[in-house]
Amino acid sequence: MTTIYNRSQAIYWLAIAPIVAIVIFVIAPVFNIFVSSLQFESLNLLRTEAIRNVVWFTTWQSLVSTAFTLVIALPLAFVTANFKFKAQRLTTSLISLPFILPSIVVGVAFLQILPNNFHRTAFALILAHTYFNFGFTSRLITARWLQIHPHLDDAARTLGASPFKLFITLTMPLLSKAITNAALIVFTLCFTSYGVVRVLGGPSRSTLETEIYFRAMQLGDVSGAMLLSALQIVIIVSLFFVTTRASRNKFKQSTKPTISRQKSLQTRKQKVIAATIISIATLFAIVPVLAIAFKSINTNSRFTTTAWRTVFTSPEITQSITKTLIYAVIAMSLATLLGLLSACSVAYSNNNFHFISGLTTLPIVISAVSLGLGIIITFDTQPFDWRGAQFMLPLAHALVALPLAMRVILPVLQAIPDSLRQASSVLGASPRQTWLNIDFKIIRRAAISAAAISATVSIGEFGASSFLARRGAETLPIMISRLLSRPGDSLQSQAFALATLLAIFSLIVIFVIDSFANTKSARDSHA
Amino acid sequence: MLEIDKVSIIYDSSQLFANLSLTIKHHEIVALTGPSGSGKTTLLRCIAGLESISTGSIHLNGHDITDQPAHLRNIGMVFQDNQLFPHLTVGQNVAYSLKIKRTPKKIADNKVREVLSLVGLNHLIDRTVTNLSGGEAKRVAVARALIAEPQVLLLDEPLTGLDIELHGRLLEDLGKLLRTRGTTVLHVTHDKAEASAIADRVLDLRQLIS
Repeated sequence: MTTIYNRSQAIYWLAIAPIVAIVIFVIAPVFNIFVSSLQFESLNLLRTEAIRNVVWFTTWQSLVSTAFTLVIALPLAFVTANFKFKAQRLTTSLISLPFILPSIVVGVAFLQILPNNFHRTAFALILAHTYFNFGFTSRLITARWLQIHPHLDDAARTLGASPFKLFITLTMPLLSKAITNAALIVFTLCFTSYGVVRVLGGPSRSTLETEIYFRAMQLGDVSGAMLLSALQIVIIVSLFFVTTRASRNKFKQSTKPTISRQKSLQTRKQKVIAATIISIATLFAIVPVLAIAFKSINTNSRFTTTAWRTVFTSPEITQSITKTLIYAVIAMSLATLLGLLSACSVAYSNNNFHFISGLTTLPIVISAVSLGLGIIITFDTQPFDWRGAQFMLPLAHALVALPLAMRVILPVLQAIPDSLRQASSVLGASPRQTWLNIDFKIIRRAAISAAAISATVSIGEFGASSFLARRGAETLPIMISRLLSRPGDSLQSQAFALATLLAIFSLIVIFVIDSFANTKSARDSHA
Repeated sequence: MLEIDKVSIIYDSSQLFANLSLTIKHHEIVALTGPSGSGKTTLLRCIAGLESISTGSIHLNGHDITDQPAHLRNIGMVFQDNQLFPHLTVGQNVAYSLKIKRTPKKIADNKVREVLSLVGLNHLIDRTVTNLSGGEAKRVAVARALIAEPQVLLLDEPLTGLDIELHGRLLEDLGKLLRTRGTTVLHVTHDKAEASAIADRVLDLRQLIS
């Protein structure tokens, strides 16, 4: 994109902070993992049957979870992309809730709703992963579906295509890239899933991610953990590479159509189908959350508020809540700032800094557990012995949130026509004034959404925290995990109360984000 | 023959028009004019089966098609903004209706070449449609509609947005093509000169409402 800022040297300065942060705290630790794992004589570990089983289980449960997610997300996307219905905004927010829930909360919720004989099973993991991803996947596909001009469907119909043939010959090919991208993200998230597997899988259902933690923190086999981490990174990077290459030559995506394809539900058949799909999806989204809330007030089969009172009076737990909130504020500020700088440098640099987009994807590809492991093995000697440093945990959280923060801001920034900036310039505004009065005013809602998402990521982050959180400075997910690992119904109820707190926070965040998005689209439609 | 009898259309809770009647004979080219927002496009969409009418009936060659779905009507339509399928090449766009009808590939290929040569675009058969000029895209849209051999072809302001020179050339080519093939056409336009140049009869939408 060519903008009026292209000639400004300031663009080069914008890119420095995100590049330095990623190079020092992501690339260096990953490089260290690779170098260290190749130095050790632990390659034989990969030949052991136990590890082969872990790799195989990680792969197939991710594939099945991805398939299940698509099976639920596609019909849901069909309804949300093609129809207008009552309480659509509320429904969309509720369906999006699972993805923003901390992974440990999802694990805890399914621990509560599934019968005991389903705990520690592959089915439990697949169901929880499907729950976690279906709303987000549906939103990704819906966003692309809404971009398909409704008159394309009309053209196909006048050429003799029945609804089924229209779907096969037109809709599916036009959605294929979005579906492939969504499937790739879901597969990666299932492959690197940590909190859900720690809670629901246990030692008998270990994935690569939990095995890395188990080896490093419980067996003391750091070299083995690094080798598995390197293997996981290679698998995910290869998958991204192959999928990106495969979808590179796809046709150009059309822009947002001027007329909406969402129509009111008219026929009885449409109403029944939409009501069924929306009801099932909404129930699927909220029942696990209601289950943890119920369990938090139900100890030893009787209703009591003891767990909630303990949560707000126990020094150990209140300290954890305080620490979590402090870390969240720092991580949110850092991630939003780095995301904003990255987005600006990509959007304004006329492709010179396009690689930053790839750099900021690294924390997703690498996984939080590998990032945590990489940080503790890299920053372990003076003067860089930062393993116990207070700033390390919020910094790691910020890096995990950075890919999301950047991707919330970038599309909004890229959609600003340069003619607006040119108009501002010819009216006498300097580039700085233009940025503040045009760009910043347009992206500030996206920046607030990015901040909200970053705060949620930080509050629920469990993978990197498992390595970096120190005694006395435990975050809420670590506290939940500790409470769950102790015997006693009252301690379990406290864990459920904390999980409910995290869920309430996530619910608030998703409503804030969606209300911003809806206000924006309402404004767009009036423009 | 297309017969529209006392049709009323309610669109977005307001009545666009009531009791509209129109008959188009076989092989006839009729142009329909009217101011913007008078409901010309909506009328075409109702005839094509893309929107429902509130009252009245539509008959095609004696058959009542009022409640028939669009894909079963065999009424073709060229949209104002072409609506070429972006994932298909020029040839594949033109062949779309043949593929839907499972026409054998060899026959379909021959037909596509024949129709593309009629619109002068045989050399672009493998081109992606996103790289076409405005005039080329319009010709592809016409070829795609004609290859299905529709009983009636609906043209929704097909030459809007083209520059004057291209507009004149395409208007001439389109007129020749439709007459040579004997296609029954309802052409909607706000341009009275364009309507007179292409049609056997020019009607004003407001005159059709009783």
